[in-house]
Amino acid sequence: MTAIVLRSAWQGLRSTGLMGGVAVATIATALFMLGAFALVVVNMEGLLDDFGRELQVTAYLEEGLAEDQAKELAHRVETVEGVEFVNHVGKDEALERFRAMAGGAALLEGLEGNPLPASLGIFLRPENRTPEGLAILRASLDGLPGIEELAHGQEWVDGYARLAALLRVVGYALGGVLSLATLLIVANTIRLGLYARRDEIDILELVGASRLFVRGPFLIEGFVQGALGGCVAAALLALAFGLLVPELRYGLAFFLGNAAPRFFDAGEIFRLVMGGAGLGLGGAALALVGGNS
Amino acid sequence: MTATFKAQDEDSPLRAPRASEAPVRMYGVSKSYLPGSWALKDVSLEVGRGEFVFLTGPSGAGKTTLLKLLFAAERPDTGQILVLGRNIARLGGGAVPALRRRVGVVFQDFKLLTRRTVEENVGVTLDVVGTPSREARSRVFNTLRQVGLHDRRNDLPVALSGGEQQRIAVARALVGEPDVLLADEPTGNLDAELSIEIIELMMAAADRGTTVIVATHDRSLLERYGRRVLRLEGGHIAETAGDSGA
Ligand SMILES: Nc1ncnc2c1ncn2[C@@H]1O[C@H](COP(=O)(O)OP(=O)(O)OP(=O)(O)O)[C@@H](O)[C@H]1O
Ligand SMILES: [Mg+2]
Repeated sequence: MTAIVLRSAWQGLRSTGLMGGVAVATIATALFMLGAFALVVVNMEGLLDDFGRELQVTAYLEEGLAEDQAKELAHRVETVEGVEFVNHVGKDEALERFRAMAGGAALLEGLEGNPLPASLGIFLRPENRTPEGLAILRASLDGLPGIEELAHGQEWVDGYARLAALLRVVGYALGGVLSLATLLIVANTIRLGLYARRDEIDILELVGASRLFVRGPFLIEGFVQGALGGCVAAALLALAFGLLVPELRYGLAFFLGNAAPRFFDAGEIFRLVMGGAGLGLGGAALALVGGNS
Repeated sequence: MTATFKAQDEDSPLRAPRASEAPVRMYGVSKSYLPGSWALKDVSLEVGRGEFVFLTGPSGAGKTTLLKLLFAAERPDTGQILVLGRNIARLGGGAVPALRRRVGVVFQDFKLLTRRTVEENVGVTLDVVGTPSREARSRVFNTLRQVGLHDRRNDLPVALSGGEQQRIAVARALVGEPDVLLADEPTGNLDAELSIEIIELMMAAADRGTTVIVATHDRSLLERYGRRVLRLEGGHIAETAGDSGA
């Protein structure tokens, strides 16, 4: 029984021909758009994770603060809730670091003295690397003598996270609309196939075929078409990624900084393909329900 | 499978089978396709287990309609129809396939699967009940040999003559060894000699316990065998003749 259901699905796939191609292409197009969107969001979120790992708050110290005062300040800051460790960077060390940076030495050419302030690099525990954790730190350091200014990338990170979140929401909305449209188109193509095989279905039912026996092949067909569409979309995305990423290096650097953009991993590709299969299966189910057959 | 059937009373599916219950029973059955005209009017009949009856009557008398009611392709407007103990009028959608798997039908217009081979057309009866493919193949082969088409098993139906296609339809109905066999003009396209062969195949099935109803115009067949004949005229049972009454 399974054998004939599969065979019938295979014959259906072959005989559906052009219409089957339309279903596959529709699913592939929808998944390509969604996949491209997902790639952008995934890369932005990956970058956010990196930020999270590296997030460091820098407390610039007042000019003229003595070395031992700075040390004591560092110890006090270390006792603040959520702080993992504090790294004291003296003026000289700051200058060294700046010199070491590309171009730094040239900028300092002809400068009298050392314009760079001493600072405390404050690292929060991972669980405190949140807006709340930062607020606590800020409140604790507020009014401590010797601290000139508190600097961190949080504002930028917040903005970036908001953009990524927005893109994610837009992605969901887009996904919903595209999925629905795809579902309807696939349902329609499969319904046409159903009409084309109306006689065959009637005959099978007259000799006692169950609903599943008659409808199973159409469900399998939808599933296979959807999975094919998913594979096509994944292949096109990989191609586009390979071709476009080098071209767009500078534009991407704006979004991603130095992080190398990544493609989907195997698990994500699998989900893309299964998403297509789900769309195909759903479309087929819709065709069978709506097709009063 | 040939010799057994589980009677299921419509009110109590678990009731034990009673040998006395005829597999095919109709009581006061009427069927109308168009308001004001009756394709069947107040038809009552019983056909027993292993019985072979002819159903005859002029074109448009209601033969096909009567058979369609028996495999739930049409629903009666009034009356009771019991096939293998199941009440056709009250049969839920899910129970129809189960009934049809025990009722073999030779359709007047054959209803062959045009894109399947002869072998697949016959085998579909076994496929729908999940017969293992090895067993199915040998049963299909044997049945095709009985109707003289085993050499054509890999052809598509279009490549066969009308009479050959009709014999595929007969083979498909017989291969599952159904409890009830309904044949609508199964010899309409056959010459006298082949007609006799096909009718005798069905009589052999009746001897193995199948209840057989054959609709036919062919007077010579009715005369030749002297079996019970149900005659329909204008939707009424006009007379029943032959050696065995219900
Ligand atoms: N689907 C239908 N719609 C409307 N009328 C129908 C339908 N099927 C049959 N009829 C009518 O019901 C009557 C009985 O038809 P039926 O097919 O049962 O006759 P029959 O005895 O099988 O005839 P034949 O010997 O020509 O096959 C006829 O008057 C026919 O026109
Ligand atoms: Mg007829």
